[in-house]
Amino acid sequence: MFKILNLSNIFFWIEKLIGFINSIFFILLLVALSLALIFSPPDYLQGDSVRIMYVHVPSAWIGLASFSIIAILSIAYFIFKIKNIKLINKSIAPIGLMFTCLALVTGSIWGQPTWGTWWAWDARVTSMLILALFYIGFISTHKFITDENKANKISSIIAIIGLINIPIIKYSVEWWNTLHQPASIKLTGESSIHPSMLMPLFLMFFVLILYCALIFLMKYKTEIIRIKKKNLKRL
Amino acid sequence: MIQDFLSMNGYGLFVWGSFAITFIACGLLYYKTFKTLKKYEREFAKEINELSSKRKKIVTENSKIASQVFSSFSKTI
Repeated sequence: MFKILNLSNIFFWIEKLIGFINSIFFILLLVALSLALIFSPPDYLQGDSVRIMYVHVPSAWIGLASFSIIAILSIAYFIFKIKNIKLINKSIAPIGLMFTCLALVTGSIWGQPTWGTWWAWDARVTSMLILALFYIGFISTHKFITDENKANKISSIIAIIGLINIPIIKYSVEWWNTLHQPASIKLTGESSIHPSMLMPLFLMFFVLILYCALIFLMKYKTEIIRIKKKNLKRL
Repeated sequence: MIQDFLSMNGYGLFVWGSFAITFIACGLLYYKTFKTLKKYEREFAKEINELSSKRKKIVTENSKIASQVFSSFSKTI
């Protein structure tokens, strides 16, 4: 059963997956963009500025999900000491940082027409900024600490501490009086967003998830080659 | 009609700006990741190529990854 977890087998599947994602990605992107920019209706209150949601919301979801995965895997790393985990975490972190920054930037652009300001020290915005700082801390440890074991330990601690910030981001709009609107899409309960907007939103999210998978697989492949290159003498 | 689509009722700059920033950032990350991957593949294949023929055979037989990377890059080295 564990044969599938062998690096050679993983490498083989990575090649296949990259090919598959590349073959469907652009068609799905085209459909998602058409729905988001042409076919979805403008909001009754925000007008066409609501279309920013189709890049802002998926970016924020990916930023949050990536950090949650990193933190959970870091806990698993401390318990099970599986070396593969550090490769996965190192590959996910840059993707998460980019999407967190994109959520902040697109949110700021959306803020200008809706709130009348580019930036507000709002609880949701500030907690997202803190998330970006945690990502920077995580990536910096791998960049600047040469001892790999030490870097893994420190980055794992950063990720576990940063996990506290995730529920703060999620519930900040309920706990504090914020400019940011409460969640329109709920995991439990009915969403307050119309299906004509919900469909393009989920499709854009799916396309960006595919993009993340593509980047992750390429980064993971790079990490595997880096290890093999380092251990060439032992092969 | 195209002008209406581009202006987005006055929100064009914000909407197009957001989409442009997102796709430029995604494109740059893809380019950087792809370039790094190819660089490592090339370097790895080059290192295998520099081994003695006996050692090269052992390495490519023992490691599927080494064999795959070497075969895909052997023409370009």
